[in-house]
Amino acid sequence: MRVHGTKKKRLEEVLEGIWTLREAGGCTLEELHAQTGEPITEELLEELQAEGMVRLRGEEVELTEKGERLAREVVRRHRLAERLLSDVLELSESVAESHACEFEHLLSPEATDSVCTFLGHPPTCPHGKPIPRGECCSKLRKEVHPLVTPLSELEVGAEAKIVFISPRRHSTLDRLASLGVVPGSTLKLHQRSPAYVIRVGELEVALDPEIAGEIYVKAAVKQKHH
Amino acid sequence: MHCHGGGAEAPEARSRIALVGNPNVGKSVIFACLTGRYVTVSNYPGTTVEVARGTARFNREVEVIDTPGINDLIPMSEDERVTRDILLDGVDVVLQVADAKNLTRALMITLQLGEMGIPMVLALNMIDEAAARGIKVNARRLEEVLGIPVVPVIATQRKGIGELVASLSRARPSKFSFTYPPAIEEAVREVEALLHGRGNRALALMLLAGDESLSAWVHERLSGEEIERIERLRTRLERRFGRLPYNLARERHRVAEEILKGVLTRVLTRHSTESHSLLVRLGWLTMHPLYGIPILLLVLLGMYEFVGVFGAGTLVDFFEGVVFESYINPLATEVVYRLTDVELVRELLVGEFGIITMALTYSVAIILPIVGTFFLAFGILEDSGYLPRLAIMTNRIFRFMGLNGKAVLPMVLGLGCDTMATLTTRILETKRERVIATLLLALAVPCSAQLGVILGMLASLGAEAALVWGGTVLLVLLGVGFSAGRLLGGERTDFVLEVPPLRIPQPGNIVMKTLARIEWYLREAVPLFVLGTLLLFVLDLTGALGLIRSAASPVVVSMLGLPPQATDAFIVGFLRRDYGAAGLFALASQGMLSPLQTVVALVTITLFVPCIANTLIIVKERGIRVAAAIIAFIFPFAFLVGSLLNFLLRSLGVSF
Repeated sequence: MRVHGTKKKRLEEVLEGIWTLREAGGCTLEELHAQTGEPITEELLEELQAEGMVRLRGEEVELTEKGERLAREVVRRHRLAERLLSDVLELSESVAESHACEFEHLLSPEATDSVCTFLGHPPTCPHGKPIPRGECCSKLRKEVHPLVTPLSELEVGAEAKIVFISPRRHSTLDRLASLGVVPGSTLKLHQRSPAYVIRVGELEVALDPEIAGEIYVKAAVKQKHH
Repeated sequence: MHCHGGGAEAPEARSRIALVGNPNVGKSVIFACLTGRYVTVSNYPGTTVEVARGTARFNREVEVIDTPGINDLIPMSEDERVTRDILLDGVDVVLQVADAKNLTRALMITLQLGEMGIPMVLALNMIDEAAARGIKVNARRLEEVLGIPVVPVIATQRKGIGELVASLSRARPSKFSFTYPPAIEEAVREVEALLHGRGNRALALMLLAGDESLSAWVHERLSGEEIERIERLRTRLERRFGRLPYNLARERHRVAEEILKGVLTRVLTRHSTESHSLLVRLGWLTMHPLYGIPILLLVLLGMYEFVGVFGAGTLVDFFEGVVFESYINPLATEVVYRLTDVELVRELLVGEFGIITMALTYSVAIILPIVGTFFLAFGILEDSGYLPRLAIMTNRIFRFMGLNGKAVLPMVLGLGCDTMATLTTRILETKRERVIATLLLALAVPCSAQLGVILGMLASLGAEAALVWGGTVLLVLLGVGFSAGRLLGGERTDFVLEVPPLRIPQPGNIVMKTLARIEWYLREAVPLFVLGTLLLFVLDLTGALGLIRSAASPVVVSMLGLPPQATDAFIVGFLRRDYGAAGLFALASQGMLSPLQTVVALVTITLFVPCIANTLIIVKERGIRVAAAIIAFIFPFAFLVGSLLNFLLRSLGVSF
């Protein structure tokens, strides 16, 4: 069982490596060797091909339909775990990263979807790479009450803490950050229309609805003042 | 670059103090306190960003520069770039102005200034407002942490200004230092080594953050190989951390909050969250989805009354009708006729297309009062903090046109002067947005001079005619905007806008700004009017005017259904938009245009090519190819819309 677990883990690492390299352009054997920490043995590659997960086309390594599905799930688990660990639990980058590498092999499909829903179905990981969508994302099941929601779903007048920002364009991040709109800041939603207006500290900032949908927040628990 | 600190300063060099801070923290007020009347406002070279410079006399003469507001020294706008460049250029002391209510943001800049190593002083402005909100700042403690003088002030009441001035002699670089994650620090050290003292830690960080506005600076000083190495370091960091400017800002934000933990005390007063002044409440109403609309209409009506009725009516009547018609022009004519009997010179100066009788009369007597009142009104809107609210209210409309609410600024300015408005399209972030805004300004935004004449003519025709004119122009604006947005493809840029609190503007500041803008107008626009008139004069002299007239008149007569004389108005409109309108006005008052013809002619001339000054600015700002494309589109399009309207109104039997 133990042996099986380790081998599964190694196969998954390789699949993840191929997926990541493909996002950056393409995946050759050489790059794959450089990418994954452990050496990729002939045996491992043969195993992958025998399992029908990977195809070799010259130097190019390709995922089969089956491999594609598995890789997608591993990447999804890894990146969701990163979000959870770094944004919600606020662990340091290196700790979050190493834990995420463990989580990606452990989470069951149900647990993965729960985490995804809990985080408000985040579209990207903290490094800005896309998180593959899961079934839960399209169904938007409401059984798990999401802890993190996009700002656009916050009630007017409510206060919330920013958990993460996941914009389509990276320049948005710089602009927001220079105004103090960063994860960890508390904001109050002032109005939704004709544009979103939030208050961060003593500063009011107007936003497009799209950007409001890219700022993920955790609604603050109302505190009673003594 | 200057050398800072140490060494004796050359006695002849005036020291330079730069006022730096976030937007809307009261820099200008402190600037006015320090400098008094000795102030010049000018555009920073190569930009439309206004920078005020003044002289202060402390124990010796000091140059004080009021820089545009910034949030980050890694610039994301032209304003921020200007401030960053002023700092890179070398200043002796930075006087950072902070809003005491909003110290986190201020400290994010303080930390960056600390990285630059410039001697500085921090002014905590609006300390009274902070106190009213239950925020107590321990300035002494902050002074200890940062290692720079920290002085609480209330600039509007001139409180603390004396202490602030006194503290300038104690200015020094902040001793507070903090580190970014190790991988970033390592890269910074490498870049610093590459720079060989040609730049500091701050510059190294800017380079690593991929600040494109620095590329000229870089290519001047570094070899291709060095640039390559920096680029490699940058990509490596980006791959590891994601977007670097964001990560740096986030880190600074964290450090700033950490510092403030030991400096700020928040007293929760019962009123701190509930009671809001009238201005705060009005500020909310101005961007309310419902109440914001009547307020917006009221503001526009106020502008119309002041600029359209008072400026374009009363003042123009006085300057044109009395000053020029009765005094200056007859006098000039007399003087010219007495000095010379060469017909050509007489015509050139005081003839039908004369430099004095046409160009000067036009630019000084007609346009100046309108533009002047407009700049005054615009300055009030600007300083009151209403403009960003206007951008919020109109964001949806501009989104439809592939722009965002920020584009409302050049559009409103276009109602004053399209030429100046075309210059301010630089505040838009992408080339695509600037091209769309330039096109719309040239096509469908009538300037105040033109608008004055048009509204005057419409007034005599009644509300229906005005509605058809306004409706058609608006439809064209939206339709062309929408199509241009689609056609040019590309993405809309983000609408992220800081909303400053509403404030009662400081009259002195507005007068200063208005005068600076009028000076700009006189210097930049008047010569273009003279040039335009000269061109017209030459066309007339050589008979080319007649040729164009006979070539164009079939189109005017058959398609627009106008009398052949109207051709003249369009040709003149070629050179000056509103003078074309004035030509139509003359025709109408001679009874040569029916109401229907008037409406068709007015729509056509509104859409018709921009004035020569505007065209030249379009060429300068957007390049000859874009300018040619814009003109080539507008010219037939204006006639097409006019013809369609003519056809439609006639088939519907509308005659007003």
